[in-house]
Amino acid sequence: MEILLIGILLLAGLVFGTLGSRYFGVPRVVGYILLGMLFAPDLLGGALGVDTTDWTRPMVSVALGIIAYLVGGSATIGQIRRLGWTIAAATVGKVAGAFLAVFMVFGLLGAAVPGIPGWTFAVVLAAIATTTAPAAIVAIIHQYRAAGPLTTALLGMVALDDALGLVIFSLVLALVGAAGLSEALPGVVWEIAAALAIGGIAGWVVERLVRRLHEHELRLVALIGGIILLTGLAEAWHFSELLAAMAFGFAARFFGGAHSERLFEPVEQLEELVFVLFFTFAGLHFDLGVVVEYAWLILLYFLLRAGGQVLGSMVGARLAKAPPEITRNVGLGMLPQGGVAIGMALLLAGQERFAQSAELIVNIVTASTLLTESIGAVAARYGLRRAGETDRTLGGGVDEGR
Amino acid sequence: MKAGNWLEGHPRRGVTVAATDSLSAAAQALLDEPESRDVYVLDEAGRVCGHLGFRRLAGILLAHLRPSHSRRQLIERITPGTVGEYMDERVLCVRPEERISDVFHQHMERRVEDIAVIDDDRRLLGVIRVRDLLRAALAE
Repeated sequence: MEILLIGILLLAGLVFGTLGSRYFGVPRVVGYILLGMLFAPDLLGGALGVDTTDWTRPMVSVALGIIAYLVGGSATIGQIRRLGWTIAAATVGKVAGAFLAVFMVFGLLGAAVPGIPGWTFAVVLAAIATTTAPAAIVAIIHQYRAAGPLTTALLGMVALDDALGLVIFSLVLALVGAAGLSEALPGVVWEIAAALAIGGIAGWVVERLVRRLHEHELRLVALIGGIILLTGLAEAWHFSELLAAMAFGFAARFFGGAHSERLFEPVEQLEELVFVLFFTFAGLHFDLGVVVEYAWLILLYFLLRAGGQVLGSMVGARLAKAPPEITRNVGLGMLPQGGVAIGMALLLAGQERFAQSAELIVNIVTASTLLTESIGAVAARYGLRRAGETDRTLGGGVDEGR
Repeated sequence: MKAGNWLEGHPRRGVTVAATDSLSAAAQALLDEPESRDVYVLDEAGRVCGHLGFRRLAGILLAHLRPSHSRRQLIERITPGTVGEYMDERVLCVRPEERISDVFHQHMERRVEDIAVIDDDRRLLGVIRVRDLLRAALAE
């Protein structure tokens, strides 16, 4: 019955999300998550004979692999160089600020408050906190016709920070659960080095293969086949599936040259499908009892992540000597959290080493996503207005380097 | 029909730019030839070394009009480079002795509408416009 449920989730999720967006002005993800909640195992899902959510894990692995591939191939080395210090420093500051704020406070809470999982919980949640939802921010920039240095910085940062977030999350997963650093080191080195090497080789091989394929459909088969093969190999040989998929994307882009549309465009068309799956699956895991009991933790996570990244990006931008309209506002534009964070949280569900904390993490991330999607839009609009960058594109100008 | 024979009856000069030109310059070159949809990039020796289509150029230069971007498009929007950084280096070209029906499918799959005809030294002899092929087919 799981296949039936997936079909219902996709179609009904699309209808819910679209109607919610059109008639109530809420982001589509809200509709996706609400629909998923309706079909949780203890509600309509149970009536369909779906009693667990364990079956979602292989799909989440592949789907997150697709996103990691796209993130890995999002920029060439030349483009990264051209982004400039302001974007690089503000991104690193934002990621570090969110990570440190969530890790330190939740780590201390775990040590001090009974019933809250310990440092493992804190470090995984902190890694998830580093990601942002580019789609929400781009939509705001488009809606308010924003242009200028702050807008450019935000566009660069949202494109980059998920890459950092995925790397941190992969490193955290490699380290978590090890008894001691000296004992864990060979395994961690293998997990990272093998992922980079095998992902890199896969990128080269698939890029060579795609050169010979002129049909869009055949290229999609090659690319998705590569991602699924890597995910399977990662599980069998115990290396990081996310780092491997990112290395795959980066190598494909590197060997494919600047004009790499054929390597990414077919997969990019699947991105919304992946996010509908993530959000509806997150709804399946949603537990109202957990959310009510830990509402203060959700609010705390939201505040720490927001405060950490506002402060971190401000410090980063200031170190890069960015103008005041960037340093004062850049963190406000980065609040929305979305599919990548939810995908990471879902990846933990069903893993034995996260048995105590996975459901709590999924619920914290899902609930805070609902918060950030609405409050984040307001904050981004405020930041763009304060910087004087709204209503700047009237549709006439060419956006070359603005 | 062979590409060389078609070109004799329908001589069309392709739009060309240098790899070091800006994307705006490439777009302007295309706009100056309203019937053209593809720009071919020439190296210093005048050989064809790359291709850019109108849709691709417009997609980059008008990115601010789109409500959603992939991460790749986000980076492209804020780091504009030269034509050489965006062109497709693996250009689909036709030799004069090749049959149009043998290469047409590949060009359609790659969304190329001005099919480049080149000599053995990769110099551009002209382009076969899909628009002209369609016009001829309708006239038959």
